[in-house]
Amino acid sequence: MSHWENHPEIAKQVSDVIQEVLRVEPARIQPATKISDDLGADSLDIVSLLMALEEAFGQNISDEQAKNLVTVDDVIRFAVDHLASSSESK
Amino acid sequence: MSRRVVVTGIGAIAPNGEGADAFFQNCLDGVFSAAPVPEHWHHYGQLSSQVWAPLPSIDYSTYGVTRVDKMQLDPTGIMGIAGGVQALSQAGIATTCINERKGMHRLERIDPMQAGVYIGTGIGGLTSLIGSQANHVLTPVKKSCRDITRKINGDCAEAAAAVSDLAGSLRMPPRFNPFIVSMTMPNACAGTLGIRFGIKGPNETTCHACAAGTIALGHAFNSVKAGHITMALAGGVEYLTDEFGGIYRGFDIAGTLASSSHSPDSVNRPFDRDRSGFLFAEGGCSILVLEELSHALERGAEPVAEILGFAESFDAHSLMMMEPSGEQIERMFHSLLQQAGLTPDSIDYINTHGTGTELNDRVEAETIGRTFRKKPLIGATKSLIGHTLGASGALATSFTALALKHQKLHACKNLDNPEHDLNFVHTPGSYEIQNAIVQSFAFGGHNAALLMRRYAE
Repeated sequence: MSHWENHPEIAKQVSDVIQEVLRVEPARIQPATKISDDLGADSLDIVSLLMALEEAFGQNISDEQAKNLVTVDDVIRFAVDHLASSSESK
Repeated sequence: MSRRVVVTGIGAIAPNGEGADAFFQNCLDGVFSAAPVPEHWHHYGQLSSQVWAPLPSIDYSTYGVTRVDKMQLDPTGIMGIAGGVQALSQAGIATTCINERKGMHRLERIDPMQAGVYIGTGIGGLTSLIGSQANHVLTPVKKSCRDITRKINGDCAEAAAAVSDLAGSLRMPPRFNPFIVSMTMPNACAGTLGIRFGIKGPNETTCHACAAGTIALGHAFNSVKAGHITMALAGGVEYLTDEFGGIYRGFDIAGTLASSSHSPDSVNRPFDRDRSGFLFAEGGCSILVLEELSHALERGAEPVAEILGFAESFDAHSLMMMEPSGEQIERMFHSLLQQAGLTPDSIDYINTHGTGTELNDRVEAETIGRTFRKKPLIGATKSLIGHTLGASGALATSFTALALKHQKLHACKNLDNPEHDLNFVHTPGSYEIQNAIVQSFAFGGHNAALLMRRYAE
């Protein structure tokens, strides 16, 4: 199962942020959707998306971490992992 | 036949009002904005002045400003968009979105190659740079504080708590903004407007401190008048407020700010014997649509006022002090009148620079007196909104354009004892004014003025 199916609430949050920043129809945002290739995001769009995701999840995203966020499901997995580690640390 | 240049739309954001109509009416009504500076600014240094003019709370989403815009743009860019949207709307120029992700629009019935953007600003996006710089400098300090707290917590809980409190008191934005270069650069607002509205002619930024907005309007006027373009978005924008009050302190330590013992409502008193400096404004913006007359009339626009001339001069004297004789200001007046084919006695109203500093008001009053005698009515819009630096000339121009249209003027607030014998406006209301001058003087030594006329066919 994809992280999307396992974590529908976080998936919705991620989808909402992508819709808001990239102005794409919700139907185009699927787990395997590649953010740059499939949604046409250029490098400045990606920076804006990362900033919006940081705001949404209260987590900084390093350059190294950002390189691994290729698909929508990658972003959901990142949010799940870091939200979990964040709540554990509290 | 000589080309005529008219104002067809006005956008305004000032401490006393949002939108040109509200700004104009609030000026007539004497609505004034002044308040004590934020309390935490006193933590960083001793301030002689204690008062400023904050902006009203504005919902920028009503101008199409998105969360992404706010992440990528300095407040000057955001205010510029709002001012541009207001001005285009008032001018009856419809916009069509052509790229939602990038916020790009097309102006209907406007040739983008025959349109330009001219924006004046004193400090550009300095506020954003200060914020990211704070993050840059204080992030390692906060980390060190956390490390120290952890190390000493077992041995000395009291000291650990003190270090932890210190870390908590360090103010900074949560990130070093990846867009900081384009946020800081002074040409960002003009560029943002050109991108937002697809305007592909000249895109000019004037950085002439307090005269920047007037000079931007003047250069736009010159371009339309000369036939280089048919329409321009032009004006000034400024945002002067950083988290630490450092920009405020810069003007304060230079001795330019109002610091008398008067109450916040009466501390700002241009041309009054008891003046002590200018009232620092949080920021401001005014964007105008300038158009060649036949172009405006063909698309059914209603001109607000006509611009007849623009002149500028330079003191070549000091970066921070006006040249006391005012010789270059008088030369500018004569150039302005000559351009318009008018004599001094044909000027009915002068919207002065009128900051309330000792030197400005003296030199300005003396040069007006020598050139125009006592005839023209004299106004000081800064007495109501404080000093918005690079936006101030554009806000004064907007007020004056609307004053020519409605034949109404605001009073000079707090002018209880004028030091000079000029025809100051003491009572708001109806006045007959055909020709008016708006003038600005700036740190650096810049002098600039526009000559405007009540619009008639």
